[in-house]
Amino acid sequence: MTDKKKENLTKVMDYLKHKDPFSKGVAFCPGCGLELLLRFIPQVIGNDIVITGTPSCSAPVLLGQNNQSWHTLSYFGTLMTGAAANATGLARYYRKAGIENTVVCFNGDGTAADIGFGNLSGAAERNEPFIYICYDNEGYMNTGIQKSGTTPYGATTTTTPLGSAHKGKNLRRMNLALKMAMHKIPYAATATLSDLDDLAKKLLKAKEAKKRGFAFLHVFTPCTTGWGYAPENTIEVCRRAVKTNYFPLWEAVNGKIRMTKTVKKPKPVSTYTELIKKFAHMSEEDLQILQDDVDYEYCMLGGLSLLEGECQLPVSSED
Amino acid sequence: MSSNKYFKHEGPWSDASDPLMCSDTGDWRTKRPIVDKDKCIFCGFCAIYCPIQVMEMVEESYFSPNLGFCKGCGICAKECPKNAISMMPEGDFKK
Repeated sequence: MTDKKKENLTKVMDYLKHKDPFSKGVAFCPGCGLELLLRFIPQVIGNDIVITGTPSCSAPVLLGQNNQSWHTLSYFGTLMTGAAANATGLARYYRKAGIENTVVCFNGDGTAADIGFGNLSGAAERNEPFIYICYDNEGYMNTGIQKSGTTPYGATTTTTPLGSAHKGKNLRRMNLALKMAMHKIPYAATATLSDLDDLAKKLLKAKEAKKRGFAFLHVFTPCTTGWGYAPENTIEVCRRAVKTNYFPLWEAVNGKIRMTKTVKKPKPVSTYTELIKKFAHMSEEDLQILQDDVDYEYCMLGGLSLLEGECQLPVSSED
Repeated sequence: MSSNKYFKHEGPWSDASDPLMCSDTGDWRTKRPIVDKDKCIFCGFCAIYCPIQVMEMVEESYFSPNLGFCKGCGICAKECPKNAISMMPEGDFKK
C-alpha cells in the first residue's frame, strides 16, 4: 500500500535536496508567489548561496528586522540603482579569495527592468559570474502597487488608475528576458511557479552556467494583493499565463533560444485576465490590443527559436 | 519579553533569544485546510505548491498541514487533483 502510494509522488520532490533555510512563519501575504519562489531556490541549488538584493517585497524577510534574521542564508542589502554592480563586487571577491559559492542577485522587476537595468546590462555585457533572478510581479508592489516597465497593457495600478482620461496603463510591457538573451549571455530563461520541475531544471542550469559567466532567470510571480485575485489562485494564474502564451517558457544558451514548453492550442488571453481584478475593466478592444501584443511577442520568440531548427513556428490563435 | 502570553514564538518586534525569528502566522488564517486521508493519493502537489512549505508527510501515506504556521491561502485545496483538501471556516474550530 505504502509503496504503491510512493509511486504517485511528484518528481519535483526529487529536486528538493537541501534544507529550507527559512523559518516557518515569515512576513509574506497568504498565497504569496514570492514566498514559494524564495523557499524553492535554496532547496534546489543549495544553501551555500549569497543573496544580494534591493528594497522590495523580499527585502523585509531577507534582510531581517531589528537584530534578528528570518533565515540562515547570507544576505547583502543594497540600493536599486546598483544591484548588479554590487553582485559583481561580491562575485569577484569570492573568486579572488578562492571561496566556492554562488552569488544570487535577487530583485523584483522594478530593479531589473527600470531602475537597475543599466548596471544589469553592464554586468551581462562583462559576463560576470553570478545568477541574476528577477521575480516579475509586474509592478512596484512593496511601495504601493505602482506601474513598472513590465506592467502589461491595460493593467490598473495606483499610478495608472481607472478614470475618465485613462483606463489603466496605455503602453505595452517590455520583454525583459528577451532583452537579456540578446546580450548573448551563457544562460537566460523564463520560468513560472506552475511548472516547478521546469523552474528547478533552469535553476540548476543557471548554477552550472554561472561557471561560464552571467546567468539570468525571469520568474513570473503573481501578487495576490496587488493584482486582486483570490489567494488560492496563485498557481492557477501562473498556469493560465503559460497556457495563453501570455508568459511563454523558454531558455537561451549564448543567445540561442529554445522553447521549453510549447502550448498546442493557446487559449485567448481573456481566460487569463478574467481571474485578475486589475484587468476587470478591460473592454473587447482593450483585450484585443493585449492579445495582439501577446501574439506578436510569441511569434517573435518562435521565429527566433526557429533559427536553431529545433522548434516549429507557433501558430497564433487567430488562425 | 520573557512573559509573552499571546504567541508561542517571539514576534519580529521583540528581542528574541531564538536564533531565527518566527511569527505565529497560523493566527492569520480565516480558513483551515482539512485533509481527507482516504482520498489522498500521496501525489505531493499540495506540499510542493504550498508557499510556506507546511504540508508534512505523515507515515508516508498522506499529507497534513502544520497549523501553527499555515496562513490559510487555500492553494493546497485548489491544486489537489483529487479534491482531498477542503477549506473550512476557522470559526467552526473555536472551542
